[in-house]
Amino acid sequence: MGSDNTQGETKSLNAITPITVTHPERVDIDALRLFREPAWVLRLTIEGDRSYTRIKIVRAAPLSHPDQYISFLDAKDEEICMIDSMDQVDEPARALIREELDRRYLTALIRHVTSIRNEFGTSYWDVETNRGQREFVVQNVAENAQWLGDHRLLIVDVDGNRFEIADLTALDKRSQAAVEQVL
Amino acid sequence: MTLSAFIEDVPSGIAGKVRASAGSEEQVLIQVATDMAGRASFGKRFLVVTDQRLLVLDSATDDVDIPLTQIERVRSDALIGGGCLEVELRDGAPVRVYYSNSLTPKFAEVAEGIGLLIQGEDPNLPLELDRTHCAQCSRLLPEKGGICPGCIRKRDTLKRLLSYMTPYKARALLLVGLTLVTALIELVPPYIAKHIIDDVLTENGDLGLLYLYVGLLFGLAVIRWIGNVVRRWLNTWVGFRAMADLRADLFRSMQFLPLRFYDKRKVGSLISRMNNDSDQVEGYLIFDAPFVLSNATMIVGILALLFYMNWQLTLYVLLPVPPILIGSSLIWNRLQGYWRRWSARWARLSTHLNESIGGIRVVKAFAQETREGERFDRRNHALRDVSVSAERSWLVFFMVTNFFMSFGAFFVWYFGGVQILDGQLKLGELMAFISYLWMLYQPLKWFGDFYSFMVRAFAGAERIFEVIDARSEPFEDPRATPIPHIRGHVHFRGAAFGYDPGKIVLRDIDLEVQPGEMIGLVGRSGVGKSTLINLITRFYDTSRGSVEIDGIDIQSLRLEDLRSQIGLVAQQSFLFNGTIAENIAYGKSNASFEEILRAARAANAHEFIIGKNDGYDMVVGEQGNKLSGGEKQRIAIARAILHDPKILILDEATSSLDTLTEKKIQEAITRLVAGRTTFAIAHRLSTLRSADRLVVLEAGKIAEVGTHEELMAREGIFYQLVQTQQATSAVMATEH
Repeated sequence: MGSDNTQGETKSLNAITPITVTHPERVDIDALRLFREPAWVLRLTIEGDRSYTRIKIVRAAPLSHPDQYISFLDAKDEEICMIDSMDQVDEPARALIREELDRRYLTALIRHVTSIRNEFGTSYWDVETNRGQREFVVQNVAENAQWLGDHRLLIVDVDGNRFEIADLTALDKRSQAAVEQVL
Repeated sequence: MTLSAFIEDVPSGIAGKVRASAGSEEQVLIQVATDMAGRASFGKRFLVVTDQRLLVLDSATDDVDIPLTQIERVRSDALIGGGCLEVELRDGAPVRVYYSNSLTPKFAEVAEGIGLLIQGEDPNLPLELDRTHCAQCSRLLPEKGGICPGCIRKRDTLKRLLSYMTPYKARALLLVGLTLVTALIELVPPYIAKHIIDDVLTENGDLGLLYLYVGLLFGLAVIRWIGNVVRRWLNTWVGFRAMADLRADLFRSMQFLPLRFYDKRKVGSLISRMNNDSDQVEGYLIFDAPFVLSNATMIVGILALLFYMNWQLTLYVLLPVPPILIGSSLIWNRLQGYWRRWSARWARLSTHLNESIGGIRVVKAFAQETREGERFDRRNHALRDVSVSAERSWLVFFMVTNFFMSFGAFFVWYFGGVQILDGQLKLGELMAFISYLWMLYQPLKWFGDFYSFMVRAFAGAERIFEVIDARSEPFEDPRATPIPHIRGHVHFRGAAFGYDPGKIVLRDIDLEVQPGEMIGLVGRSGVGKSTLINLITRFYDTSRGSVEIDGIDIQSLRLEDLRSQIGLVAQQSFLFNGTIAENIAYGKSNASFEEILRAARAANAHEFIIGKNDGYDMVVGEQGNKLSGGEKQRIAIARAILHDPKILILDEATSSLDTLTEKKIQEAITRLVAGRTTFAIAHRLSTLRSADRLVVLEAGKIAEVGTHEELMAREGIFYQLVQTQQATSAVMATEH
């Protein structure tokens, strides 16, 4: 949001509001150990305290802060702890986190738009993505495409699959023209 | 034992691999394709399960081949934008098969099926899943099992639209006839003008002939005027009636559609089918279609006349036509893009407007008026910009076509002039030509639009027909067993259910409830209490197992009989905008005022109602918002009492109320419950003390059943829940 350009009177709003959080209990990030043991089971151990298998690693804000605020959930989907930034853990853990996130978030990045046909309010897309070629159908593009920034676009198809255009202006001219036709 | 199988076609290479690993004596039970090659990329991979082994195959070599005995368990794991079927082994790394969201329903079934198979049971997979591709043209369908927009033949849609005219056939035919006649009459005046110039306005002109021609012109003008008036009148008469019929059909279908249909769609988008789509069809039927018909007639008529009068000159007239047509079809896409964007931005603006006016209290409470104004400005400017662009393109198009059209006039003036000088052509003929020329170009310019209007209107009509054609709840199934008097015996037999096939909410529900018994449903939120109730009302059908009422499977009961004997009091009682009396009598429209009074008294609602200025005639406002929560609740209870259901459902009926009101409502409910099979959900466990039995749900299953005392003595889940609640209320009490 670009609301910080209204200076002066909103100054007090920009100050950090002091909020005390007592729940969940604080986990010492330095005591966090993430590893595979055996090779196919991801474990999270809080050194000297407890250990979890079957953990889920999720993004708190997958669209606005994909690489920050990573949360660890236990088998009941309750939060064990959250790290604000990847820098808080060591490189092997970071690699594991990235791998898990990559596995969980199946959003495909569109690299090239081969064609978009628009018929009766339904558009048929044929695209090249970082995960390979794919065709998909979007009904009522205006409703199912979400602008995440000036040039960043998330498209959800009829089945709930997600496709992202990280930067529309970075696509080739033909792809841009095709997308602009339907948006 | 013969087992049911779920087999998809696979490429011959894969089929060969299956035979190579499994041999011929093994029965292939599951054979499905996924659309993800690994976890990272799209591609093809195949999962094959025989009665002996599980195979995961692709064109590469590292295939998986595991004996079923090795499998510990199978589950489908929902990921974001897809999922993963995880086969856990007794020993070693699990096998994972990834799939995109398009295949989630299929793999959820497959996971369930393999799970049953390793327990030695029939995998029992549905033989048919919703189609994702059109059967005819194999294009992806916009909705699973929906209609293919490409394969809908426009002629069929038109036929169907026209079928709404059949009740008004005579007038519709008259309308068409009149349209043709008035269009043809338009063609006559220039021809008469030609005769006036050539035959009358000459050196030895005949005044009598002038009278005749002018009289003729006047006569035609009158006929044309009358014709147009009658035509317009007929048009609106027939068009609006046909549209009203279509809207009525749409509304009726919407009422009878199952809840499942509404789960998947936004209410707004359904309402827009009512509003926008029917507007488009209406506009087409009432304004565009007649316009197209009369203009098409005129174009054909003019061309025929022109060729008859002077074919060489006609060819010159036609010179600018191709550029006009090409130009309009070129600009059309562009304009349509602008208009689409325009309507999207307009929608965004009006959503914002709606929100900030609707939430004006919040806006003011947080002093956000200025920021709301800024947000509005941004959207308003976006709308302004696209409007300007659209209008600019339109203007350019307009100017260019006009320019080309005047070209036609230049040609005709020049070549016509030459022909007159040569004595091949008379002045009147030339004048008539020029008149016809303008008459021809005007409709041509619009012709590009007509087609798109038609396409848009037909798309609207198709969307309406789609709702009309969607399978409604089986209200009129003639095979259904009528059950006019339900005793109230309810029996769940191994019932399982999930709103999405991938996510099972309830499983293995076995519960027998005697007539008149009161059951309290207990469990954490999201555990499936409301879902269990949705199965009794048959808002949803079980995916496995069954629910029986009085010993008959609920799916074979007459739905109307069933629902009319079930009463529902929910946490948020929904009242319709009408009087209090009307709302109480909603389930029994022929109730006498006496009955309404008695119901209101029984519900402890009478006192507050007579305290209102208009008493029972008070209009409750949209969704009953002129009443307080407790008042609405009591009216809802009165409604249920009057409805006199055999099976009663109380869904958090007493939560979020103050103690005094709650006491009154509790009393009312006690009266309501007497003699009815009752299912009550309540968060505050103390309110369920009067229940005959409590059913504790945990992780989608029944965990404990018993009376309050039994469950407390058992010290299980229920005991813990009660302890926690007491602890919390104790804490709250000390804090005050």
